[in-house]
Amino acid sequence: MRRTFSILLSNPLSVIGLILVGTVVFSALFADFIAPFPSHRGAVVDFSNFNQPPHWPNIFGTDLVGRDVFSRILYAYRISLMLGVVVLAIAVPIGVTVGLAAGYLGGWADFILMRLTDVFLSIPPLVLAMSVMGVLEPTLTNGMLAVTTMWWPWYARLVYNVTRSEAQEGYVLAAEIIGASRWHIMFREILPNCVPSIVTKMTLDLGFVILIASSLSFLGLGVQAPTPDLGSMVAEGGNYLPDSWWLTVFPSLAILIAVFGFNLLGDALRQILGSDQ
Amino acid sequence: MNRIAKTAAAALFSVSTLALVPAAPALAETVLRLDEVAVGELDPGKASDYADSILMFNVYDTLVLPAQGAPGLVPHLAESWSADGNSHTFKLRQDVKFQSGNPLTADDVVFSLDRMQALGQGLSYLFTNVEKAEAVDDHTVTFVLKEPYAPFVASMLRLPIVDKKLVMENLGEGEGEMKDWGQAFLSANGAGTGAYTVTSHNPQQETVMAKNADYFLGVPGAAPDTVRLRYGLEPATVRTLISQGEHDISSQWLPPEVLKALAQDGAQLLTESGSGAFYVKMNTTKPPLDDPQCRLALAKAFDYAAAIKMIAVTDDVSQGSPATGAIPVGMLGANPPSAELVRDLDGAKQHLNSCRYAAGDQNIEISWIAEVPLEERFALLMQANFAELGIKSEIKKMPWALFAEQVSKAENTPHISQIFNNAVTGDPDTLLYGMYDSKAPGTWQSPEHLKDAEVDRLLEEGRTNTDEAARAKAYHALNNRLMEIAPTIYGYDRQSVFAASNRVKVPAMSDPSKAFGLDGMGFSFRLMEMQDKN
Repeated sequence: MRRTFSILLSNPLSVIGLILVGTVVFSALFADFIAPFPSHRGAVVDFSNFNQPPHWPNIFGTDLVGRDVFSRILYAYRISLMLGVVVLAIAVPIGVTVGLAAGYLGGWADFILMRLTDVFLSIPPLVLAMSVMGVLEPTLTNGMLAVTTMWWPWYARLVYNVTRSEAQEGYVLAAEIIGASRWHIMFREILPNCVPSIVTKMTLDLGFVILIASSLSFLGLGVQAPTPDLGSMVAEGGNYLPDSWWLTVFPSLAILIAVFGFNLLGDALRQILGSDQ
Repeated sequence: MNRIAKTAAAALFSVSTLALVPAAPALAETVLRLDEVAVGELDPGKASDYADSILMFNVYDTLVLPAQGAPGLVPHLAESWSADGNSHTFKLRQDVKFQSGNPLTADDVVFSLDRMQALGQGLSYLFTNVEKAEAVDDHTVTFVLKEPYAPFVASMLRLPIVDKKLVMENLGEGEGEMKDWGQAFLSANGAGTGAYTVTSHNPQQETVMAKNADYFLGVPGAAPDTVRLRYGLEPATVRTLISQGEHDISSQWLPPEVLKALAQDGAQLLTESGSGAFYVKMNTTKPPLDDPQCRLALAKAFDYAAAIKMIAVTDDVSQGSPATGAIPVGMLGANPPSAELVRDLDGAKQHLNSCRYAAGDQNIEISWIAEVPLEERFALLMQANFAELGIKSEIKKMPWALFAEQVSKAENTPHISQIFNNAVTGDPDTLLYGMYDSKAPGTWQSPEHLKDAEVDRLLEEGRTNTDEAARAKAYHALNNRLMEIAPTIYGYDRQSVFAASNRVKVPAMSDPSKAFGLDGMGFSFRLMEMQDKN
């Protein structure tokens, strides 16, 4: 653990990643205390102070109904992160189970499960999520569902490949010889060896989930007003460029920071865990 | 900042002048560039919205035109008209030729009506009451109505006259004698008498039009030689193009902030008003809005002043003026401008107390049309306004196509819908009948699904009584009744605002004495004046 940290801190890029991710997580967790106008995440309008460029106390300016853009970005982070965590919390177990079963059991299980995975992978992710959102009502829960639908196959594919190679290892054969159950071999013997790859991918993915969720809401399929959401903020602000630039630039930067941070951190983890193997 | 911008603009201007002078001989072609919503419909039997109206009023002509700067109608393709009971007879001008060279005859008028009714699309609902049209002689045509309809002549503004001979030569695939009624041909080609001919038409990209040298009224030299009407440009694109001098007139759908920024950059603002309003429609079949007291509470809680402030472009130009009731100021039956609606929170609370539903129990769904970003702000405004009464609400974004489908059934219609509507012929009947008559089917115009006998009676009186004073009285009474039962929050009277470069003068949209008072008519290109040649 200590070694992990020392490697992490020796690479300036991973330090930057750690700082960015730390900032995002901190803003999301403590939005209630940092945000200068916590009420602005909800049903508030203030037409005496709308569409104003950055000034004190609205350091990122105000939007078209007079809400503080800075406060809304902090709360939008909370929703983005929650979305990322929930999506991965559902997608990873499903994907991992499918991948393990297909990879270890082989035969018909392999064929059926992996062809099903291929079907999902063959549809462009955003198109798949859009069609799910097209059928369901555009709410946060359905947004999560839509993103989850497109995310689990990647984990299935990843774990499947690792399982296939691990299944040939001596320790698996040893476990089989002493009569361990399939369940035990899959989850107790093979799964721990997949964890490094899964954790790395999850860290990398958190950024991408946020990006995809933003893309969905950019297209009007995500969270509904007045809930703050980075993608919708960028989409709405786009109509007012270049004059009201603060409506687009700050939420875009916020997306950039989150995605960039999680990517750097994921890369660093990949190096560390990769060298461990 | 402003000074720098001005200096920069001046510098740019001088550079562009220098660059232009040697390249532009005095007789070069003038090009007018404008934009509209995503799709332009060129077929007169299907045209319905603003973009389509621009095409109709330039490529085609109608029997009558709205008078400029005054109410009423003036002759156009028809020299004169008269009414006798349920039949209306029009005498046509004899000197009019279609763009194809074919002369205009009464047969063409009959054909235009038959085609409109046969297709049953676009604005054809205006003519469902017409039993038939008959050619009396080459230049006289009689329309026979099924029932008396007082504003019939005004509906002629929406019957573009089509070149029968040309269409018959170009019938496409289809059943029966008339095959496709020339739909394939007319969706891509013009067949009118209008001042502009269609050079090319791609309904999702651009329509290019050129001056018709043989126009029966003649087209003034100052009018643009070529017009390029582009579809579906992003506001940010239009904003940049106009600033760079590469675009001339914006659509009216730009958000007020963008118009404001353009005006600050030196663009002129053109306006067109008098026939439409912004309506917040309440579904009168769904609790708690099936109780008029609850509806009145919402109507009184709405912050009218904030709405007006939201749509202000500059100190003197705004996308609307305060509403005074269901009928926009200036139209038959409207209240005077002094009777403007204001917010009354105490009154709202009183109404809420009389409402049979408790405020906290209900969750109201406020929808907004995804294509109109301004409506999201009204949704947020209402959510905040209603919250002050203790009424919970949720906001729902709906694409237009979904909205138009859902409103056909009362149970699928959201509690609150936001609609911009206008009188397509300038007469209150064409504004109110579709919205409030209980026989009118559920359409985007009528998300209230109102069933009120008194409203029905007054609507009928307004459309059948031929006496103008009696009509005015009926519409006044209707206006009062609609305030009393409040199916709608009458947001504001709408004014269309367009940003334009200084290369073009548009008297019909800048000089009130030349205004038509009919949406889209201001875009008669023949009445525009290009300021320089390039």
